[in-house]
Amino acid sequence: MAKYLGLDRLGKIFQIIRQSGGIKNAYMKLYRFDDLKVGTLVGTDKYGNRYYENPYYFYGRNRWVEYADHLNLEYDGSQIPADWYGWMHYKTDLPPIRDGSRPKYKWMADHSENLSGTKEQYMPYSTTPPKVQAWDPKKSK
Amino acid sequence: MLRSVAALVNKTSKVLVCNSGYSSTLFVNGAFGPAINTIALRQQQTMPVVDSNNPLPKKSASPFGRNQPNMVEWSIARLDDLLNWGRKGSIWPLTFGLACCAVEMMHIAAPRYDMDRYGVVFRASPRQADVIIVAGTLTNKMAPALRKVYDQMPEPRWVISMGSCANGGGYYHYSYSVVRGCDRIIPVDIYVPGCPPTAEALMYGVLQLQKKVKRMKTLQMWYRK
Repeated sequence: MAKYLGLDRLGKIFQIIRQSGGIKNAYMKLYRFDDLKVGTLVGTDKYGNRYYENPYYFYGRNRWVEYADHLNLEYDGSQIPADWYGWMHYKTDLPPIRDGSRPKYKWMADHSENLSGTKEQYMPYSTTPPKVQAWDPKKSK
Repeated sequence: MLRSVAALVNKTSKVLVCNSGYSSTLFVNGAFGPAINTIALRQQQTMPVVDSNNPLPKKSASPFGRNQPNMVEWSIARLDDLLNWGRKGSIWPLTFGLACCAVEMMHIAAPRYDMDRYGVVFRASPRQADVIIVAGTLTNKMAPALRKVYDQMPEPRWVISMGSCANGGGYYHYSYSVVRGCDRIIPVDIYVPGCPPTAEALMYGVLQLQKKVKRMKTLQMWYRK
């Protein structure tokens, strides 16, 4: 009966606040991610991102990530490393911590986030002559 | 190749922590230089590993930081933060759908990706739009129209080039009637690769634009002048 009246949502709110660790932490979580969800912690990667799952939510929203705390508001989708990417995108149901068959080679590079807009961004050099001919005021005709 | 590796090693070593024994001075010339440098590049760590015992310092919410030389500059930096917050929270794109990319552009407005949650709402008038999304092949015949529409947009304005055709001609690069990239007509801020890019990729492009808007120094530049 309570479910039909939507009263179970009230209990859910308390559950979410309890899991987030208090009202203040729940508010901070809402502020950071614009979302408040309750779910089971599936795993944590070495960069500090936490991955959650709850099949109560609709497909496409039932897996989510809470980025590492030190990132604050500077989080970005490219900070999810490649091994968790497949799980986040429903390519596989096995998260990397439970999947033993994933290849692990020495030559595999460490993950790097998208560095566009920073000093470390990738800049290719041009192979074509410049399109614009700059005017040199000192040069006489 | 060698130079680029060297540049990368030199640049990254400043901010990043090498998890192995390699230091920034490793860069070697000589016969085995490139190979050793490649190994160093692979060993380097590009995102900081979190240790629960000693947590990393929290990143500031503002790109300008709290430390400013004096009170006036501090206030102007905060005003800039406020201005950028307002701007990035309501980026209205002008639809400039030219080809199949436009279908993916429609998808980000649909419920699954729902661009409205970022305050991104399609605006059909260039005079009230903030960003133009060039989605699709830009032909020679369309180029003057694009420039005209861009000129009608008020400042500050941004451009997202969507798909390989708009980025650099793409499939039609060698066609006689196609502009080889819309950056030959208007200045582009964000290039979204793909043919066509997924709606997710375009969404990411919009978020990258938000990051760029966050770094704008409108008032700080005015004050410095």
